[in-house]
Amino acid sequence: MFFKTLLCDLLNIEYPLIQGAMAWIAGGNLAAAVSQAGGLGVIGASGAEPAWIKQEIEQVRKLTGKPFGVNLMLAAPGIEKVIELIIQEKVPVVTTGGGNPGPYMERLKAAGIKVIPVVASVALARRLSRLGADAVIAEGTESGGHVGEMTTMCLVPMVVDAVDVPVIAAGGIADGRGFMAALALGAQGVQMGTRFICAEECNVHPAYQQRVIKAKDRDTVICGQSTGHPVRAIRNQFTREYLKSEKMGAGQEELERLGQGRYPAAAVEGRIDEGSVLAGQICGLVNQVQPAAGIVADIISDACQVKNILGGIECQE
Amino acid sequence: MNVFEELKKIIVEIKDIPEDEIQLEAKFAEDLEADSLDIVEMLMLLEEKFDIQIPEEEAAKLKTVKNVVDYVEAKLQ
Repeated sequence: MFFKTLLCDLLNIEYPLIQGAMAWIAGGNLAAAVSQAGGLGVIGASGAEPAWIKQEIEQVRKLTGKPFGVNLMLAAPGIEKVIELIIQEKVPVVTTGGGNPGPYMERLKAAGIKVIPVVASVALARRLSRLGADAVIAEGTESGGHVGEMTTMCLVPMVVDAVDVPVIAAGGIADGRGFMAALALGAQGVQMGTRFICAEECNVHPAYQQRVIKAKDRDTVICGQSTGHPVRAIRNQFTREYLKSEKMGAGQEELERLGQGRYPAAAVEGRIDEGSVLAGQICGLVNQVQPAAGIVADIISDACQVKNILGGIECQE
Repeated sequence: MNVFEELKKIIVEIKDIPEDEIQLEAKFAEDLEADSLDIVEMLMLLEEKFDIQIPEEEAAKLKTVKNVVDYVEAKLQ
């Protein structure tokens, strides 16, 4: 089996498939399994302590010699120390979210690290590619966790037209059909998070995985629209309470207090009613827990089948 | 080119608010409801309009309309 795009050459990976870096739960084991299977595994370092990140990087290196990445949440406090660690450890790839990586771009690039920011608009994609981003992840509002407003379907082709670097599509993709659809939009690769929540190697509570599996098409909601930092999660007792407060005009502080610690409550402790079960809209398509290598192989082999089906469509220019 | 006038046009284009509501003292986030993506868009349009480059560390300091006007005017000197 092989599947090659420009992104594979850029990152020195076999398949143009990046594992979304879910905070707290995408650790070294998951990243190593995805990379070993031919994709790019990414450690979700969002807001984590440098010591934890270092330990997870060492874990990846123990399990695979293949390239991997670390995702940085730029708005997190202590980001300077994390950047130093990333440079010192010569991490092959950094993906960034939660802010503008512009101020760190030069240092990371100088250290030979590939920098791939997540973007939710054409202007940001253009700005970051001009500043030296090696590729950009155009992430639509279908994704889980922090979201923008544009859908993947609309954002990806516009970003593709606006920048010269490879574009990776994210948000709403969990199988070979979505994967090929993204390539049809002009993307050179795909990032998937929600499907990898249900990887065996994902360091998440089993109850969380079962909730993702149980979820249907209309089961996610966006909380925190009024805070300017909207987040997509599976609807539950917590999201109902939160949205009710939001509707009644609760202030920033109250909403912040309400949301405090809810994600680890669900992801680590498995409290899926009171916690925040972050997942993308595509969760309705995820129906089993399987090894990360199985997920990668399924996606790529399904994508090859989709390509054959599309090849059978009769048309002529 | 009058920097304030040009900046107003750009903000109108991005945020679709009446030009006379854009005061020199206006803060982007609080008064003009501009989010981080709006600000990036504004920077890109400003750079094209005035043929300048606004480095990231400078961009991060631009919180009000006046900040931008002062910055661009200094840059054009």
